[in-house]
Order: sequence, then C-alpha cells, then structure tokens
Amino acid sequence: MGQGFRVRERAVLHFNVADFAVAVERVTDSRLCHRPLLIAPLQGGRAVVYDMSEEAYREGVRKGMPLREATRICRGVAVLPPRVDLYRRAMQAFLKELQGYSPLIECGQADGHFFADVTGTHRLYGPAPDIGWRVRRHVRTSLGINPIWTLGTSKLVAKVASRLVKPVGEYIVTPGEEEAFLAPLPVTVLPGLTGRELVRLADFRLTTIGALAGLSRHQLMVPFGSRGDYLHDISRGIDDTLVSRPAAGTEVIEYEHIFADDSNDQREVEGVVATLVSRAGRSLRGRQQVARRVGIWLRYSDGGHVVRQTACRIGTAGDFLLHKMALAALQRAWTRRTRLRGCRLVCDRLQRRSPQLLLFPKPEGPELGRRRVLAAMDTLRCRFGHGVIGVGRQYPSAAGEGDADSLAGH
Amino acid sequence: MQSSTASGNSGNGGSCPGRVDLVCPGSGGEPGRICPVYVGTCGYSYTEWVDSGFYPPGTGSKAMLGLYGRCFSVVEFNYTWYQMARAEALARMVENAPAHLLFAAKLTRTMTHERDDNWRQQLALYRQGIEPLGKRLVAVLLQLPPDFDRSITHRNYLAALLDGLEELPVAVEFRHHSWAVDSVFAELERRRVTLVAVDAPPLPGLFPPLDVVTNPALFYGRFHGRNREGWQSGNIQKKFNYDYSTEELRAWCDSFLAAMTGRADRGILLFNNHVRAQAPRNGARLAALLAERNGGGR
Repeated sequence: MGQGFRVRERAVLHFNVADFAVAVERVTDSRLCHRPLLIAPLQGGRAVVYDMSEEAYREGVRKGMPLREATRICRGVAVLPPRVDLYRRAMQAFLKELQGYSPLIECGQADGHFFADVTGTHRLYGPAPDIGWRVRRHVRTSLGINPIWTLGTSKLVAKVASRLVKPVGEYIVTPGEEEAFLAPLPVTVLPGLTGRELVRLADFRLTTIGALAGLSRHQLMVPFGSRGDYLHDISRGIDDTLVSRPAAGTEVIEYEHIFADDSNDQREVEGVVATLVSRAGRSLRGRQQVARRVGIWLRYSDGGHVVRQTACRIGTAGDFLLHKMALAALQRAWTRRTRLRGCRLVCDRLQRRSPQLLLFPKPEGPELGRRRVLAAMDTLRCRFGHGVIGVGRQYPSAAGEGDADSLAGH
Repeated sequence: MQSSTASGNSGNGGSCPGRVDLVCPGSGGEPGRICPVYVGTCGYSYTEWVDSGFYPPGTGSKAMLGLYGRCFSVVEFNYTWYQMARAEALARMVENAPAHLLFAAKLTRTMTHERDDNWRQQLALYRQGIEPLGKRLVAVLLQLPPDFDRSITHRNYLAALLDGLEELPVAVEFRHHSWAVDSVFAELERRRVTLVAVDAPPLPGLFPPLDVVTNPALFYGRFHGRNREGWQSGNIQKKFNYDYSTEELRAWCDSFLAAMTGRADRGILLFNNHVRAQAPRNGARLAALLAERNGGGR
C-alpha cells in the first residue's frame, strides 16, 4: 500500500423490495392489495410459485412450491401469471432513481434487490442514511413500492440487516458494530451457506453467528475444509466483495420448462430442450446476437439440481448448432435416474452478430437452406405466435406454451 | 484561542468542554445564579468531518464519539430519526462514550414526518430503545415537518404524542409558523415541554426565531444555518451549508441568550450546519463567545 493511501470506511446501501413481483402487480391493480396473491404460470399442471404476497407466505406458501399445493394451502388466493417484462421495467425505474446517487449499483434481474456503494459521495449527497431514506421516499412516491433499506460497511452486513426487517423497515449498522450486530443472530440469516453446511453447523450446536465467530480458522477447517475461511470471515462481518455493475457480456437469455408430471422420458426431455432452443434462437436472432455458451439446468423431483454447459469458439444464433450444444450439455447434466421436475436453457457469453462478410465465402451448401428455413419460421412466429410452427423433434405441449410461463431473462 | 478540531478542546476546557456556566445577574441585589449552557452539534458521525479536518485523518466512525467528546459535552442523535432507536446498539454506544457527554435524541420519523396509524407501538418501541441513555438523556427532540400546521387533527395528534412521552424530557421544534401563538406556548409550559428556538433562513411560512422559554428546566436552541437558496433545494448538502460569522453569533446571543438563561436552569445550543464541518467550528466559536461574555471565566 502506498504511503498516504487510506482505505475509506465503506458505505453500502441495500434496497430490497419484498415480494417484488407482487408489489409491482399491486401497483398496477390496487384491488390486489391486502389479499393473498400468487404469481405463477397458469398453464401446466406442475407450475410452481414464482412469487407470493406476505399474506400467502404467512399461510405457508413458498417460492418454488407446486401451484396446486399452494392454492390448496391458501384458499381464495388470487393467481396471476408472471409478467417478467413488467418487473424488469420496474427494476429499470428503480435503478434510474438510484443512479442519481451512485455510479456503483448492483442489481438482480427482476427480483427487487439492489446494492449501491455510496462511499465517498457524502460531499455531494450528504450522509449515507439520508440517501437511503431519500431513495425510499422517492421510490415510494414515484413507483408506489416501499423498499426495505439497510446500511452497512459491506454487502454481507447490509444483506443480513435486510433479513431482520422484512417486509418493511430500515436498519443502519454503524461501522465498527458489525461483529456485535451479528453475534446474537442465528446462522441461518447468513447468506451463501449451503443446506449441508447449515446441517453441519446444527450438528455442532453452532446456532448463533457469535458461536461461529468464537472458532478459529483452524478449528473451522476441520469440519468445513476450504469453506472454513469463508465462515470465519462472514461470522465476523468481514466481506470485501465489491458492489459491481454487471460487466458487458454477462447478460443471458434463458427459458425454462416445468414438466406437467415429473419425467425421465428421454424423448420428452429432448423434445423440451428442442423447444427451449427454438425460443432462445429466435430471441438471439431478433436481437442480432450470437451465444458462445449454452447451459442446461436440470431440477430433479427430489430438489437436487445440476448445471452443465457447452461452449463454442464462434458464437451462433442458429437453432441447429444451438440444439447440438444443448444436447451435449444435457448429456453431461442428466446423470441420475431420478425424474426431472424442470429444465432450463441458458444462453450466455452473448455478443453482437458480426456484420463483417467473409473475405473468401465458403460454399453455402445446406447452411443457406437452414438459414432460409429459420427466417421463414421466425416470420411466421412473429405474426402468429411461437407455437404456430416447430421442427419435428420439439415437444408438442412445450411448443405450444405461451410466453407467460417462459421466464426469459435478458 | 479556541480549537475547532477534535484534537483540541473548545469552550472552557477542563472536564466539560463546550459547556459554559453563564452567570445570570440577580435581581434586587440578590446574588446571580449560574445557568450551564452546553454547546454541541446535531450528529457527530460525518465522514465529511474527517475530510474537513475536524477529525484527524483516517478516523473511523467508531472513534468519532470519543474525539467529539474532547470538544463538546452534548450531542444530538440524528440517526434515531432515520431508524427506530435500538437499545442494544445505544447501550454499546453509551458504554464507549466519554462520561461527561449528554445526549439529545430525535424522535423517529415514523412519529413525526411519516406518521402512521401504529404510532403508539412505535412510541413504545422508541421508549424502550432510548432506555440505555438513562439520566444522560437531556431531551427527546420532536421535530415536526413544515407541513405540520396547527390544524385540529395535528393539535390532537401532538397532544396524544406528548401524553405518550410523559416523564421524558421533551423538546418540540415547529417548522410551521402557525404554531407561534401564546396558547401553544402556554400549553407547552403547562406540560413542561421545551420549545426549541430555531435559527433558520428568514423565509415566509417558517416558524420564527423566538426567545420563549416554556420549560424552566431547559432551553434548547438549534442553528440550521441561514442558506436561503439551499433551504428549498431538496439537497441536504446545500440546505445546511452555512458558516455563521462571529458577528452573527454575537448578535444572536445579544438578542436571545439573556432572556433564555434568565428563565431556565440550563440550556443546550446545537449546530445543524454539518456541511464541511461548519457545525463543530461554529459550536467552538459560540462556546468561545459565551466564555468571553462570562468574562473569560466559568
């Protein structure tokens, strides 16, 4: 560290709109206020809950719970299909409000979560608690949603604080108070711990963060291996993670299918993958982009999940190559006999399709024909909907699904 | 020469920096009495005060209160306005604070600016939250927003709120001019609630600067600065960006101080113009002026 260089105490604000999708839906229709509300795809027998209101949560409904079970638990609940585009627009509006105070903002995709690093902005905008309060006030006035806001010296502390004040409120953790603030809290409020780690902590009767902080790195290394360091740091409120803007190229295109009945039928699963590929391909072509990596995320009926990816050097937006890559990823991911509950296709490492023509064009061959077929199919889908046409290998019910149940993230 | 950095003392030095025991002349040949006046600031934890040289370079938030205590003997908590007072956090803070420091705590915004139906629960939480301040609590500051005028609803609300704060030392700061009437002062006097004397820009609609003392136990002055343009800018850094000159502070003392010290047992004078550490600088300046008026002695 250079002489005279001083590390400034960080000020990280965390904003969290509890049940974001519900909050946005309630802004658009005030009749939905004060009554239990579920956001879930309406088609598909095995649809799962995307988001739920506080009233439904209190009745026992949880995210990812099958819709049938949720509606059984919470009688008379209103159910709406997810409108991801709307939630994304609300996120953008919130983000715009925050950008007036800091250039360093990190946000989720459509989940109402934001981190803003306001370190060093005090001369322009005043003390950090005042920024938190002002942003909340403006967002409440202009968007009609009431976010939780918390302030800490790191993302970790701000995040944990937000878990203490849900669904509304604020929490300021004064710098230097981190360890004392965390000590009496249960370990379950710490972010980033796996289910297995929580079980292990319970086995050792380490129920509070203070108890965890009482152990040295060496002691933690015995049961937790390399994760011991992480546990040691977070139990003391140490977190150097930066608030980072999503870098260029981190955007993704993703589509998901939930099986009507859990399935391990290879033909059915491959058909679903083909359908998801056709949707992603059309989306890529519409945006003049190509993907250099395709991932398959499988969710098993026992709650387990596996993610595998396949990459290619030159990106593609063509269904044929995308499908080939997706099948390769599927083959690697699908290693268990347990039936599948859902399958998600993720295209990332996106880049713009180059307008540059080849200096020595290759003979077109079958490629030209494929491109023409895709262009014709895109035209038809654009006019009559995605399900109007598909290739033979597509799974019929998945091909006919509307956009409502495909959770596209961009 | 008074120092305006946290490394040095302001006021009379000794064990209570920033405190001046003003001698009030007695009437009819009676000996004068002493009215201790504590000077301080609204809030103490400002990163900006490190940049501006009040705190030494590299001072962390945790060390600020100790350093603040070298200059002043009273501080007003701002953060209890932003969030509900939490007993465990305040207890830790009091434990580490200099022993001579007194505290004023703002009432949480959910009972003043963003009033809600559940304010009685909020009040109960607040009372629990400030318990660790004990006898070092000099006042609970009830700062009311500019749109809180003297309507029937607001009067009823304020009366209920003051009932709920009974047994606590309470000070009320009005921003709306409609409250500047004798009947309000009489009611505050009956309840032994302090009326805050405000120094703010001379703008229409604002509560005027007055030397009315409604509580013989305490007078309470707040200096917000006189930045007319900044006051309505919506930017806190512009609103409280003001540096009181010695002449302005002297004129204030001439106009208000004698009346207030003559009618109260003790007083606190707090500066809210935190921008660029003008508040502690002005506080030190005022403490020096008070000491000067006292003939340099305590």
